[in-house]
Amino acid sequence: MENAITVTGLSKKYQLGRKRSGSFRETMSERFSGLFTKESNEAGLAAEFWALKEVSFEVKPGEVVGIIGKNGAGKSTLLKILSRITAPTKGRVEITGRVSSLLEVGTGFHPELTGRENIYMNGAILGMKRNEIKSKFDEIVAFSGIGQFIDTPVKRYSSGMYVRLAFAVAAHLEPEILIIDEVLAVGDAEFQKKCLGKMKDVSEQEGRTVLFVSHNMAAISSMCNTGLLLSKGEIEFKGNTQDMISRYLEQIIQMPSTSSTVKKSGLTFIRINTVNEIGEQRTQFGFSEPISVKMDFSNLTDKQAVNIGLAIRDATGKKLFTTVFLKEHLFKGDHFVQVRIPAKTLLQGHYTADIALFDNYEAYDYLEHRISLIITDADSSLRNYKAEEIGSIHIPCEWN
Amino acid sequence: MKTIIEAGRPRLASQLREIIQYRDLLVLLAYRDYRVRYAQTVLGFTWALIQPLLTLLIFILVFQKAVKVDTGTIPYALFALTGMWAWSYFAYVITQAGQSIVSSQALVTKIYFPRLIIPLSKGIVGLIDFMIVLLLLLLLLVWYRFVPGINVLTLPLWIIAVVLFSMAVGTWFSALTIRFRDLQYVIPFLVQIGLYLSPVGYPSSQIPAQYRTIYYLNPMAGIIDGFRWSLLGTPLPETKFLLYSGIIILLLFISGIYYFQRTERQIADII
Repeated sequence: MENAITVTGLSKKYQLGRKRSGSFRETMSERFSGLFTKESNEAGLAAEFWALKEVSFEVKPGEVVGIIGKNGAGKSTLLKILSRITAPTKGRVEITGRVSSLLEVGTGFHPELTGRENIYMNGAILGMKRNEIKSKFDEIVAFSGIGQFIDTPVKRYSSGMYVRLAFAVAAHLEPEILIIDEVLAVGDAEFQKKCLGKMKDVSEQEGRTVLFVSHNMAAISSMCNTGLLLSKGEIEFKGNTQDMISRYLEQIIQMPSTSSTVKKSGLTFIRINTVNEIGEQRTQFGFSEPISVKMDFSNLTDKQAVNIGLAIRDATGKKLFTTVFLKEHLFKGDHFVQVRIPAKTLLQGHYTADIALFDNYEAYDYLEHRISLIITDADSSLRNYKAEEIGSIHIPCEWN
Repeated sequence: MKTIIEAGRPRLASQLREIIQYRDLLVLLAYRDYRVRYAQTVLGFTWALIQPLLTLLIFILVFQKAVKVDTGTIPYALFALTGMWAWSYFAYVITQAGQSIVSSQALVTKIYFPRLIIPLSKGIVGLIDFMIVLLLLLLLLVWYRFVPGINVLTLPLWIIAVVLFSMAVGTWFSALTIRFRDLQYVIPFLVQIGLYLSPVGYPSSQIPAQYRTIYYLNPMAGIIDGFRWSLLGTPLPETKFLLYSGIIILLLFISGIYYFQRTERQIADII
């Protein structure tokens, strides 16, 4: 079967530090300085930045591909090229079928125009023919629930109505390939949920191809059957979604954690380990296993008291809970603390943790996403549910 | 449907095919501009009549009463309005097209469609006001009981010329404004100067013969003369001047599309 998308050697270069939208005077003076000196030319080269480097991959029709990566990995650039907003510097993309992206919801809506006019306007911008819009018009109006307000200028709509109408048009576009950048998606939580729901319909019931960029690992793992992990503009991994997510979480750990350490105070973490009950070093734990986090840190001056904190975040990056330990009379030297997260606390899924050393006056060391945890659940009664259905934390409650 | 995205400039043929594909959008964008233009104004579309009428009044005061321009047997109001008819279309289109891409940033950075449609749609919106002024012109013709001669059959030709030239300059300006925002300030100024460098309020016969070669480098001069010749029977400029104008219009049109295409691919990156 023919590929839905074939990408070969795709590269995109951006100029940094040199404003291309500069004024006429700037461009002219650049041209002239280029005539007389060689340095300016070299400086221009040094300021190049490759947002994508030789990226190649294929997507089969009906595949739902999750694209993840840290900020600046090139996810959005890739989507922008695929949706033809920006052109590649090198390489080639072949796309079979109509592409539409949900970040376009409401693009081209004009407040002065009525709902009816905006449907035609928006549909045409999205590439629909007038007859096509006409034939789907009633359906779009019904889906949006705008009803009698269809001939009212949209500036009189509530924001909810506005989004519903915009979404209704996009939802009836029936693209063969749908591109969703959740990172860029605007709108309230309910609207985002609607987008995800629509995406599910599109991929599962209609067998369409979907490219999905998100920082929400739970959404990625529940919806996508393959994944693409981008790192610094290159493909680091492609294939199975679960493996990709594990790789991604590892990557986060290796990332020189954003540390706001004030080195002068000389209180820093040295070594962090997560171990199971029998002291084996692990990142993957069962739901019914306790997790111990061992932290070594060094202290250069005697201190009255120091707090040691651990904050657990879910796969979307939201902090779930924090636990803090107060250590008094902290003398000069190396120290060790251990915190045990009780068994059956974290439901299955991916988690990261921040760790911190601080007192009432300042943070000595703060490491974001320093720890990565994968919890698996093979036996509990909650194993069949996803995080978005039941949440992430298990608290033993008594039922009578 | 197969789409190929490659580095470099897209082929002209596939570009034109796309513009035809998106022709509904071309019309709708024009419709949107037209709908939005006089929204929530008290006088609404009367404005489209008031503007040329007031300009005409000022022209009568300045050129006919003060400067005492000689237009022979042709009533001055009729003479001036014919010039303004072509000029105001041109001025409207190049001003609107010039800022068109920059002012639709929200659209251009989020979704793909052939960008050339944006400046081109301005050429269509301009035709609405063009029709309104034509109405005014017809009223004046009736008022003065002026019957145009057989030349009037060539009028469509002159209209095509002014549309082509306006779109050519508009395309150039819209692409240039993306890179050089300075143009936003330059264009209104150019329009103001152009009004006096074109035979809108005075006959081109008043230009001394030795300056005519330079004068007719401005295609609007030839076009306005053409409008008057076909409607009012005033003399046409020398054929070689008309030829110049034709060549300049075509060159500007082709190079405008070429330059626009070169800039088009980087719009989202530099805007």
